[in-house]
Amino acid sequence: MIVTRSKPIEEIMDQIDPIMDRKICVIGCSLCAGKLKTGGEPEVKNMISQLRDKRANVIDGVVLKHACSIESWESLIKEQPVISDAEVLLVMSCGIGVSLLGRLCDKIVIPALDTVSLGAALNDEILLEMCSMCGQCTTGFFSGLCPKSGCPKSQLNGPCGGSNDGECEVRDRKCIWTMIYEAMEAKNMLSMLNETLPPTEYNRRL
Amino acid sequence: MGLEEAIRSGKFIVTAEICPPKGTDISGFFSEAALLQGIVDAVNVTDCPRAMVRMSPLVFSNELIKINIDTIMHLTCRDRNRIAIQSDLLAAHALGVRNVLAMSGDFTTMGDHPYAKPVFDLDSVQMLQVINKMNSGFDLMDNPLEGATSLYAGAVVNPGTRPLGFARIKLQKKISAGARFIQTQAVFDADLFNEFMDEFKSVNIPVIAGIIPLRSAKSTGFMIENIPGVKIPQAAVNRMESASDPVTEGLKIAAETIDRIRENCQGVHIMPIGKHDHTKRLLEMCSLL
Repeated sequence: MIVTRSKPIEEIMDQIDPIMDRKICVIGCSLCAGKLKTGGEPEVKNMISQLRDKRANVIDGVVLKHACSIESWESLIKEQPVISDAEVLLVMSCGIGVSLLGRLCDKIVIPALDTVSLGAALNDEILLEMCSMCGQCTTGFFSGLCPKSGCPKSQLNGPCGGSNDGECEVRDRKCIWTMIYEAMEAKNMLSMLNETLPPTEYNRRL
Repeated sequence: MGLEEAIRSGKFIVTAEICPPKGTDISGFFSEAALLQGIVDAVNVTDCPRAMVRMSPLVFSNELIKINIDTIMHLTCRDRNRIAIQSDLLAAHALGVRNVLAMSGDFTTMGDHPYAKPVFDLDSVQMLQVINKMNSGFDLMDNPLEGATSLYAGAVVNPGTRPLGFARIKLQKKISAGARFIQTQAVFDADLFNEFMDEFKSVNIPVIAGIIPLRSAKSTGFMIENIPGVKIPQAAVNRMESASDPVTEGLKIAAETIDRIRENCQGVHIMPIGKHDHTKRLLEMCSLL
């Protein structure tokens, strides 16, 4: 799941203000943003009313099934004709949906959300920083847990000095290295932690 | 005698920390250095501690070396990728720096530039490996260097950290990666430190224990709240709160801590809150001068 947060309305208005009179369509996404309540049906409706209160020329809003995966621009406007009438698309999806629409159409595309993390949905709980897309997965050394994303300092060889009583000094949560140690101990794999891992090969991302 | 030679001689080491200025005026820092000249084996020069922008430790170390003070240059993984780290290590050697303390670094959001991009391309273990490689004449990718570095690499541990399981593994990794000496984060609780050192008895590496003399009840409270990993015993907090002369009381507490841990380490590293105006007095109080 791509984790998004709503931008402050003031930040969105800074971009909308100069083009207030143009026809605006608000686009949500039912996949991750819908689940996270940052870009589903209720949020799109709420955004439309906020923009109209500020006298923006909103013509409509639609919620796409998945803004990150679109067959073609033609199929999209066939399904949602109102999009083709708009001059401005205010997109309430993750950055992928925004980028895709930006590439596909000749309309002005503005993001309404910030994309912050690759997370997971576990029942009602959202787990953040599950993967950092480093391009060289090392989780096999940690029985599936990812220190590159779970540790703010991206440590690969153990906790930093700020991990204390099992807590992370940066974020108010358990240190990922405590979780790794406990998991490896329970799985009788502690000796694997003695291995020093080399620096990540970031060229693998290219 | 430089730090490496002093450590090898087996003597009880004293180091002290200076934080480079926030600005270009280094005059005040020379008076700090003058307070330490002749009473410490080396001066640690910090690398934007608590993620606050300050002068480069590389340049400031060089200034101290010019006045014949041996330095231990801190180098964090926070602000440099592997190219910049190696570039700085080559520059450090060229500028006469011989001791480098490799560390992860305090996280960006704790400092005065919370919007900064945290780098952490390497971790502290990998940085130690890089130093080791450059000492043998090669860069991280095994390209030969025109002239190897000769850097004496140190690493940091927090003896107050619990549980000890992973601390043990990481310390061993740091030693295997080329750490030749250890400097610890501040020790306030001698029992915690001694317990830590008992656990690491088999690890054969010189350990220099960090000491922060408390200065006032207020700054003690600030440290408990704001400095990661700091564990100050309640008894010390109480003494600071009721002291009529808190500076002297803080020095007494520090001297007592040093007395209680000195059998278990090869030196102490003095990190005052503010200036070094009482460092000499502290060293005299525990007969280190």
